[in-house]
Amino acid sequence: MSSTTDRGAGVTDAARKPERGPILGEGWVRFTALLSREVSRFWKIKRQTLGAPLLETFLYISVFGAALGSRIKTLHGVDYVVFIVPGLIMMSWAINAFSNNSSSILQQKFQRAIDDQLSSPASPLELMMAFSLGGFLRGMTISTITFLTASVLIDLPVEHPLVLIVALMLVGMFFAQVGVLVGVRAEQFDDVSFAQTFVITPLIFLGGVFYSSALLPEPWQTLTHVNPVYYMINLVRYGFIGYTEASVALSLGFLALAVGALMLVNLRLFKRGYKLRA
Amino acid sequence: MAPGAAKRRAAGSGALTRWSAGATGHTAPAIAFQPVPTPSATESPEAGPPALRVTDLVKQYPTGTQALKGVSLEIPEGSFFGLLGPNGAGKSTLIHCTTGLAMPSSGSIEVFGHNAVEHYTEARKAVGLAPQDLNIDHFLTLEETLDFHGGYFGMRKKDRKERIGELLEAFSLADKRHDRSRTLSGGMKRRLILARALMHRPRFLILDEPTAGVDVELRLELWHYVQQINKEGTTILLTTHYLEEAEQLCDRIAFINGGEIVAEGTTPELAAHYGVDSLEDAYLELVGRKELSRAHVGSDVA
Repeated sequence: MSSTTDRGAGVTDAARKPERGPILGEGWVRFTALLSREVSRFWKIKRQTLGAPLLETFLYISVFGAALGSRIKTLHGVDYVVFIVPGLIMMSWAINAFSNNSSSILQQKFQRAIDDQLSSPASPLELMMAFSLGGFLRGMTISTITFLTASVLIDLPVEHPLVLIVALMLVGMFFAQVGVLVGVRAEQFDDVSFAQTFVITPLIFLGGVFYSSALLPEPWQTLTHVNPVYYMINLVRYGFIGYTEASVALSLGFLALAVGALMLVNLRLFKRGYKLRA
Repeated sequence: MAPGAAKRRAAGSGALTRWSAGATGHTAPAIAFQPVPTPSATESPEAGPPALRVTDLVKQYPTGTQALKGVSLEIPEGSFFGLLGPNGAGKSTLIHCTTGLAMPSSGSIEVFGHNAVEHYTEARKAVGLAPQDLNIDHFLTLEETLDFHGGYFGMRKKDRKERIGELLEAFSLADKRHDRSRTLSGGMKRRLILARALMHRPRFLILDEPTAGVDVELRLELWHYVQQINKEGTTILLTTHYLEEAEQLCDRIAFINGGEIVAEGTTPELAAHYGVDSLEDAYLELVGRKELSRAHVGSDVA
């Protein structure tokens, strides 16, 4: 190996050449490395991170679609299976975005492996976005496979593709940010499983994935309307089948605001190093 | 002449850094250790800022514990500096504040003239940290561990690829390249931690108790390695509980106790400061346990 460590008289020819930086700068290199690490993590254990959620989603479709579908037939003029699939697609994106980010951050905090990222020149924004997008992409992968498979099995329309894409992106980012928030704040794995079992999952299930709130008696119908996930499911359902029980514009607006607010909160946590730096 | 300048000239004679694994029979190929040149290093090293300048650094944890109580310290470029003190003295807190793993309460930290809090990007690029904990991500292979680390520090893909090859060869880890890090032995993990710290070619290497719990061969190999890269111009800050290690390796040593730097100098200067004959006795004076001095033990036995 021809090499020298002389930085005085004997600088190598390679070192004399002007350094050509990455096309989009060092910040982009740092961000892609951070994000690659997050994607690599869930990809390495794909049986757990991709396989299990996919199986779970198909079990929901089979059990609720086949069992309940034979009794309910249609809801608001739509086949029951077609009515619930949009909610299931959204649910898989949401839960996987949340669980990926919360467990990835907490796991790295436990191993102290996160110190490698925290002691790097990466900015709080780069760190926060990389952690967020890791779960976002895992959720997107599972939802996309679910959508493609469901499209083969049932006649799943896409009535408003633009609303659908924007809504799914916002929902994915919302739960990705919630996952980051919980992962940063968590001190033990119990904190993460508590949030998922007692907050996230009930909100999603009671938001109307498997039913229409119009069928509920009072006060459950009104209570459903204070659940933010109800509006998310309606947005996604509107994108697929054109049916909604809530204002599309207002729902999109509030969801975008919520995502923005969560991003600001998380960015502040990373800037302060809250429960990340001593 | 600054120590760094002298060492760089020594390195210019063609010194190469390799992991000297003679004890285990490995013959690792040579690796050039080339810290990123900077204007201060290439133009006028004598006038350059110190590798580390800490001024009145205070770190108080939310619990109220004051881990650092106004620490001031300067480590010249090119030096091999030891930081000794008992457990809980503030060594790791000082390192964590320097590397961004802890937020200082007040005071300032400069790495090669860059404020480590306000201009952390440049400051952190100059620092390589080999922590005491084996904090390797168990999901990653050795290659990925180094590749991602290089990426975090803004290294281009091609550069990372070349550097990974050099480091894995140099640390006799090339045959483990695609293995997950959790399958490594403790000694191999320690080598991987050091390789990771060197991945982005830092000018300032921080070794936080690098030989804690490692066998004699690995300790000696590590000594040879870090001495060599220090000769080539890398500034090193070493914390250790092995006094002979500090004595053997360090140009200067600071004693830290109770969050304060209580003495600093060469080994003879520290011994003279405490009116004793050795670094060990000086340390025992520092921690108030001079009755443990080998001289006393020897006389008791006699």
